Amino acid sequence: MFLICGTVPREDLPLTLGEVKFLGSVISLDGVEIPCTQGTAALISAACVTARYLHLPPPRALLVGDDGTGKGSRVLYDHLIKNLPALSPVVLLLHYMLPVMGLMKKVCDSASKAKKRPFMIADAAAMYAAKAAGLAPSFDIFTPDLSEMAFLADPDAMHPAYVSRHLFESDASKIPELVAAAYRHKNAAKMLLVKGSTDYIASDGKIIETISQPEVPALEAIGGTGDTISGMVGAFIHGGLRPLDAARVTFRANRTAGQVAGATPATRISEIIEALSRVFEKHLDEWIKT
Amino acid sequence: MVFGFTKKNNFEGGGLILFGSVEEAIAAEKILKEGAYETKLVAPPPALRKGCDLALEINLVEKTGVERILRTENLPFLEILPVKSGSELLQVVQVTDFGSAIMVKAGNMKLTFDRQSGVILNVSGGGCPDIPYLHAQMLDKKLAETPRPRDKGYTLCALMLDRAFVESLDIWSNGRK
Repeated sequence: MFLICGTVPREDLPLTLGEVKFLGSVISLDGVEIPCTQGTAALISAACVTARYLHLPPPRALLVGDDGTGKGSRVLYDHLIKNLPALSPVVLLLHYMLPVMGLMKKVCDSASKAKKRPFMIADAAAMYAAKAAGLAPSFDIFTPDLSEMAFLADPDAMHPAYVSRHLFESDASKIPELVAAAYRHKNAAKMLLVKGSTDYIASDGKIIETISQPEVPALEAIGGTGDTISGMVGAFIHGGLRPLDAARVTFRANRTAGQVAGATPATRISEIIEALSRVFEKHLDEWIKT
Repeated sequence: MVFGFTKKNNFEGGGLILFGSVEEAIAAEKILKEGAYETKLVAPPPALRKGCDLALEINLVEKTGVERILRTENLPFLEILPVKSGSELLQVVQVTDFGSAIMVKAGNMKLTFDRQSGVILNVSGGGCPDIPYLHAQMLDKKLAETPRPRDKGYTLCALMLDRAFVESLDIWSNGRK
């Protein structure tokens, strides 16, 4: 099972577990429709498109409404703490949720009690909580952007808002140093997918691959283009690709989808996701072979 | 399948509210607990001590919502800061010019607006649960007619988005002069 956990901007959604359906501009979970916008909905949409292309069942999602007060997030943490060993997902992806260090520690403890520990991916505030709680090495993949990479490199920062100014002002050329610092301080997952004008794949403190084509600068402005990366890489890994291959294919697909969609700073994430099917159709077999 | 919530979890915060008096600290704890915020009365470490000897530990990420509730209730406090000394809230922003659009980045948040109309085209970055809400509320609205993210959000991500928003409004307003 590929299980995606997060919060969505629907106050009326209680904690709900089920198979997700991707319906174009919305996703549907247990009959509730959620717009495919920036955040966990965009991530799930990209994961669904990827799973469909790989002839896999859609991911399952554990979602709850939370407007930022953290009430829904705490319900989500509580459920994971109690039920992760029984759920026993093959791939567990944690996404938008209020970062609460103590609860994230318990989630990780609970994951360790599963018969087979899940492949653990964290993005967004789940990644913030994991880093702040000193749990980063327990995770298999983090997917930071440049500012979040600076956060991982800063041993004292509890949240990207508290990153040291000199780290925040690092440009993309400093990513290898930020990666090295994050691993040195044990604030990195086993693999990092650093998304930006050039995408970096890092492991064990070193950059192992970069992807910079096609160039689509507007992607940085479009809310959700990091979420699609996390959703795709989770789906590819669940489909059996090695993490490095999954990361490489994911970055290529995201960039190419931006190009196919003719991305501008005004493009919406649903347009990028809509382009993904065409990108997979045209390129995926070749990319997986190479 | 729908589930409920049964048990309150342990608390680990990372943020401190400093007060001028013990009475203020106790009053703030009561109000925040009523607002379902997790808090703990603690003695501030000597390096951070200001005012009285009692501080309130909070989840630092919830600073924006905590500040708003204390101000709404007229409860005075000296400062909200991280337990780890040396960390400071980011004040700087970075600006990217896309030609017809401008992107302003503050911390982990980016806001992009149309240079001519001042309409918000995209909000990206962040990871706290209020960001998808704010994203939905702000998109396609004019900067000058959009409520400030700090007045609607609860988290540090919302506070960073507020920084980007204020700078964007400033850039757009100056561009029209």
